[in-house]
Amino acid sequence: MDPWIVGDLLLIGLALPVSLWLAARGSAVERLVGLQMCSVTTILALLGFGQVMAQPSYLIVPTVAAALSFVGTLVFTRLLAPRP
Amino acid sequence: MSALNVVAGGCYLLGVAVVVLSAALALPLRQAEDRLHLLAPMTSLGAPLVAVGLALRNGWSLTTLQIVLTGLLILITGPVMASAAARIAAMQKGAIPRETPQ
Repeated sequence: MDPWIVGDLLLIGLALPVSLWLAARGSAVERLVGLQMCSVTTILALLGFGQVMAQPSYLIVPTVAAALSFVGTLVFTRLLAPRP
Repeated sequence: MSALNVVAGGCYLLGVAVVVLSAALALPLRQAEDRLHLLAPMTSLGAPLVAVGLALRNGWSLTTLQIVLTGLLILITGPVMASAAARIAAMQKGAIPRETPQ
């Protein structure tokens, strides 16, 4: 079997549901860590998806998602900081 | 299948294995700091391995440039996001003062 399909299925079928579970349970900071895992897993799954579908134009989505997830996480950390 | 394709597929699957194992091992952990220890290999090892595998598969092209750019973005921003989350966790536990600059 094609390793690209196997890897992408593993990311979508195993890592992504686990990350989503982590992003939905626990305290706010624990959920934030889960969200970061979710972002990384999604970006890698989208990279693999572009390879599997042989569509290089799809790769703009994970590139933009990588930049936006960084900014989004920093905004969340700002909002979660305890007030002095 | 050429040797380069085998190396590319191996790098990709190794990176995927790191990501899947990190996510699975984070599941039983309850503390945010413990989970952050497993986020680090995901961003610093798994994502670059996946990017290297895909880059080797595609050869010298603009596609490879975009894949490498995405991998570099994750590699650079991952530790920053992890340290920011760890800082918030430490603040909420009172381990560091709240009025330190962010």
